[in-house]
Amino acid sequence: MSDDRALTDDERFPLIDAAGRGWLDELRQHPSAPRYNMTCGDRLTSAGHERVRAYERAIFANDPSWSALEMPSWVTAFTARCLRDVPFYRRRGSTAGSFAELPPISRADLQREPWSFVPDSQPLDDMINYWTSGASGHSMDVLSHPDVASMRLPILRKALARHGLTLDGGARRTAIVFVCSQSTTFTYASLSSYLGGAAHVKVNLNPAEWRDAGDRVRFLDALDPEILTGDPMSFADLAALPVAIRPKAMISTAVLLLPATRERLEQRFGCPVIDLYSTCETGPIAVASPRGFEAFLPDVYLEILRPDGTVASLGERGEITFTGGRNPFLPLLRYRTGDWAALAFDGAAPVLVDFEGRRPVVLEATDGRLLNNIDVTIAFRPFALVQFTVHQNADGSLLVRTLPHPVAGMDAVLRGLFGADQKIVFEPLPDHGAKRVPYSSDRSAAKV
Amino acid sequence: MMTATTEGPDLQALTHRLSECPADFLAEPMIGSRGVVDVAAVVSDLVRALGGTLLTAAELARFRGTSDLMARRLQITLIASWLLYDPWFRDQQRFAAQAMSLLSETFGEVAALVEPDAFVTDPDRREEFVRLCLRALGLRPAGESEAQAADRLNTLSSVERTRVVQETRAAQERVRQVREAMRKKAAEEAAAAYGRE
Repeated sequence: MSDDRALTDDERFPLIDAAGRGWLDELRQHPSAPRYNMTCGDRLTSAGHERVRAYERAIFANDPSWSALEMPSWVTAFTARCLRDVPFYRRRGSTAGSFAELPPISRADLQREPWSFVPDSQPLDDMINYWTSGASGHSMDVLSHPDVASMRLPILRKALARHGLTLDGGARRTAIVFVCSQSTTFTYASLSSYLGGAAHVKVNLNPAEWRDAGDRVRFLDALDPEILTGDPMSFADLAALPVAIRPKAMISTAVLLLPATRERLEQRFGCPVIDLYSTCETGPIAVASPRGFEAFLPDVYLEILRPDGTVASLGERGEITFTGGRNPFLPLLRYRTGDWAALAFDGAAPVLVDFEGRRPVVLEATDGRLLNNIDVTIAFRPFALVQFTVHQNADGSLLVRTLPHPVAGMDAVLRGLFGADQKIVFEPLPDHGAKRVPYSSDRSAAKV
Repeated sequence: MMTATTEGPDLQALTHRLSECPADFLAEPMIGSRGVVDVAAVVSDLVRALGGTLLTAAELARFRGTSDLMARRLQITLIASWLLYDPWFRDQQRFAAQAMSLLSETFGEVAALVEPDAFVTDPDRREEFVRLCLRALGLRPAGESEAQAADRLNTLSSVERTRVVQETRAAQERVRQVREAMRKKAAEEAAAAYGRE
């Protein structure tokens, strides 16, 4: 295949039939459709379809089977395979005597040499290359396989099943609308062969992406999707539109979803909002529950590591470290996600508690007391914030940017934490849509 | 892999013996009408000197070659025969069987990689050759542990080094292929993503 030739629809949708072709044409030519700026499909073959079905059976039949004392049984064989077949691990890990002695890997390793994580035995024909900007702003290539994209569907089904819900799909229906709200992003109409040819449409609520701003409501109401995927900002923007859709559920990822925001969305759309912890490198990791982010997938193993690489004690916060091989182009052995939490094993499944994306930032109260950023997040829980950032300047003053802005009562809550004399500047959060590191500080105490 | 060995002769003495290998043992082996040395006869004498019996016709036939590669193997066999004529081995009168399998089975790989003369002229190849022969006889150099002897042979081994070089070449080629595929796939549309990460 030449480098720059666009795929045909038959290549995009290897399992498409005449009905699917007709449905795709309608989605593309709908009078209220957005100005799509991309074409893409699920690229799922019949063999891939079978593999995804097998994956669905496996994840529904099994829950995570590990504890504080015992790794899941598959980790040993997976590790041996990585040390034998994956150049990066072979080079670094061959002398390790046990799993806990394997040096953890980081995003910088994947960024520097993504090719070294491709197993020698992995055929390259079906490789796809996703490009991600990531929370830290450093872009990287993430190599993957079409099956991995479709494996997201059984994972969504398992998350929905926790609420007694199903994702049925079917011909001439819309299974998923992926809602974005940002200045620019790829938008497309696609079909999911795994969901019986149901539509999967990605839209950007930015009015500039539509022929008429009113088309956003007309189009979404016409699609009447089973579920929505997106993030708190895009869902908040959607909630402000007079759409009549009643999805079964909304799946939120990428950005911290505060409880008050979740409740507001649930009231507006009359459905649960499910917060899924997922990264581009790992795929879905855990799903929010009243206990925290619960591990719910049997092919994921999590550890909590201290900055020095040793395993944290039970209940001690540290960096969430992922092991799993769902993506055949990126088997991950002790991958430090950059996100922080503690692990608890007090219920049926392991759960990440005190979860906070990114490394903790220490903030300083007016009387010199040190505050962990998670204290501020907890204090913000009552506010229906779609997104926020808190920055402490070198002189100790705070710059708090919020969406929406202003927020009544926030000043008093922050003074309660930092002290009555705390200097605080409130601003609206501009240009939402990008991922953000919520906390930062110029103070010297701002380290773990 | 480490095999159990017993302590054998002094390494230096044997490498010195190799460096003094007489011209007769470096002469061209007889193959058909070519060459001057009847390797089968040399091996036969050696085996008896080490306490063995006369070789059978089938055993003798292993040392009468037909190809160029066989010629190199037979040259190495001659050099090994000189080495094993050392009094240390003859005095023991117990190495005939191991010597026979060493001479007829061990030198195939190394013959394809190393010029036979190098086992006499090059100090590292001399040491490699002595260690290779000692190991085949179930011996290790005097004063060395099993691990030291195995590690040193592994370091010097021409076969091992060639294997590493070939593996490195294969690894470099694989990286080239993956990077080329990445370049192509980056220009190609991916599969639709069902949500934000």
